[in-house]
Amino acid sequence: MSSVLYQSVVKNYGALNVLRSLDLAVPDHMFLALLGPSGCGKTTALRVLAGLDMPSAGKLFIGERDVTRLQPRDRDIAMVFQSYALYPQMTVGENIGYPLWIRGMPDAERRVKIDEVAAVLEIGHLLDRLPRQLSGGQRQRVALARAIVRDPAAFLMDEPLSNLDARLRLTMRGEIKRLCQRLGATTLYVTHDQVEALTMADFVAVMHGGELQQMAAPTDIYDRPANRFVATFVGNPPMNILPVILADQGIAIGGTPVAIPAARLAACRAAQVVETGLRPEDMSVSEPGAPNALPGEIYVVEPMGNETLVNVRLGGGNVSVRAGRDFRGAVGANIAVTFDVSNACFFNSAGLTAVHRVNSDGE
Amino acid sequence: MRSRKYRLQGAGLDLALPYLMLAPGLLIVLGVLVYPLWDGLRASTKAYRYGSVVADVGMQNYIKLWSDPQFLNALWVTIEFVALSVTFEAILGFALALFCLREFRGIRLLRTILIIPMVITPVVVAIVFRLIYASDAGMLTAISEWTGGGQVQILGSPVKAFFGLVVLDVWEWTPLMFLILLAGLQSLPHEPFEAARVDGAGNWRVFADLTFPMMRPVLAIAIVLRTIDAFGTFDQVFVLTRGGPGEATRLVSIYGYDTAFKFQQTGYAAALFVTIGLVVLALAFSAVRLLRRVDAS
Repeated sequence: MSSVLYQSVVKNYGALNVLRSLDLAVPDHMFLALLGPSGCGKTTALRVLAGLDMPSAGKLFIGERDVTRLQPRDRDIAMVFQSYALYPQMTVGENIGYPLWIRGMPDAERRVKIDEVAAVLEIGHLLDRLPRQLSGGQRQRVALARAIVRDPAAFLMDEPLSNLDARLRLTMRGEIKRLCQRLGATTLYVTHDQVEALTMADFVAVMHGGELQQMAAPTDIYDRPANRFVATFVGNPPMNILPVILADQGIAIGGTPVAIPAARLAACRAAQVVETGLRPEDMSVSEPGAPNALPGEIYVVEPMGNETLVNVRLGGGNVSVRAGRDFRGAVGANIAVTFDVSNACFFNSAGLTAVHRVNSDGE
Repeated sequence: MRSRKYRLQGAGLDLALPYLMLAPGLLIVLGVLVYPLWDGLRASTKAYRYGSVVADVGMQNYIKLWSDPQFLNALWVTIEFVALSVTFEAILGFALALFCLREFRGIRLLRTILIIPMVITPVVVAIVFRLIYASDAGMLTAISEWTGGGQVQILGSPVKAFFGLVVLDVWEWTPLMFLILLAGLQSLPHEPFEAARVDGAGNWRVFADLTFPMMRPVLAIAIVLRTIDAFGTFDQVFVLTRGGPGEATRLVSIYGYDTAFKFQQTGYAAALFVTIGLVVLALAFSAVRLLRRVDAS
């Protein structure tokens, strides 16, 4: 296993700027999720590292080695593709053994390795089948087995779960996480699914428009987003964003004055914040007229079983609020939304987070 | 008021309409395909003299074929010609298709140029090749004399004439192979190839372990199509050598033509072509079955 380093990597397709100077350091043994919407450059970042695409500028290192100009086969990596990319005319056993066979490992030794990884992934009984005789989940396991059969410097996974049905995805998510922890493998995992990224990864790198937005531990990504994009991209439903007006004594949100501790107010004023962000679970519904409550009306009520999502129309826009599972309310009814201002973060006009929420340790 | 026309638009017309619409096409097929075929089969059981039937000979024409040394020779020459031509066409076509799979400047133009031979009328191709091969004023002789050599004899020598014919066929029909195989290559999924490169395979191993096995069904179809087509080769030979020198390039099609129109043995020629038709049909069937087996395994 090795560390991975992107050094000012740029990738252009003609006039299209897919990666704009990506700098990313992945320490040894880390599971890093590359998260972002479609077209943000995350898959390109992975392909460039695999050597399937050449970067337009910049350097790539795996361990101490500069691999920027190396062929994929000389980079000592293993990759799992979104479509699994199994070799259709080879049996499962041959598929798994291919990376070993190509390196000239003797038959007997190879057989042992194949059986070993097949046992780990519980596909020992499928070794003589062809890929087309397998279900999606089984193919996924074969693709994983082919990747881990060798001991590569790094694992690259390109949306490996996106072709599975929702239930299977849930199971495989846990399996891959366990597998990677067991192997202690440096892993780059591309996904557009924030739940996958947050649940599986040690660190999450959020990308947008070919640029890295933030790289941090999942809880920090969620609690302390670096900017408005990360704040609204991560979280489901996304963080509520409301305009803020700075006044002498405090702030006003949607025309309602809100009390705020002096230190935070000073910080907000210094940064000239224009918006505030509040997670749906940090807000609650209450009777209209309560102090510090933002008045509004119910826009839509979505019972989820374990909770109820209430979308409330406020003066400054709509917000999602997580309410209890017993919440009942009619569309159009008057309601108010309350929150603890210490859970709010504030963005400046550039969309960067100027004032973070107050952590449990008071910072 | 219910008019006659109105009633014709009811359920009766609904039932009849498909057949009415098919009828013109079916009649044409019956007239130009089924009837001649049936007539040919009938003719193959008769003996003709000066264009008219003189006797009913049953299967005699068919039995006679297998003791006719000229027919057996023609059949052998045809098999050699088909095997050699199609093999070269497949190899060349595959190589060209692999080359043209890459994207680079001018690739579209190159692909277009490469398929020109197959759209030229076969007779024209044959005439051009006769001009190239001609021993007195041909292009090869001209080049040979320019570099200090003598006349080049192609069409006068049995072996060289045969290979000259193979070269012509390869030149004209490699493009078809190329086109089918290029389409096949372009329809292969990308990811397994990328996976193989990541797994450690070089260009040759990618070809041997992935490209070739994945292309086998397409290759088989292309070879079967060309084989069936090559069995019926007539016009190029007719223009280039008329089957000569001696019997060196006399394919079954030429022998059949001679039998029917030179020697006026219409019944015997009909039996010959029916036999060849059956051989090609058997070939096609076995190829399709082979394909299914390849597919199923």
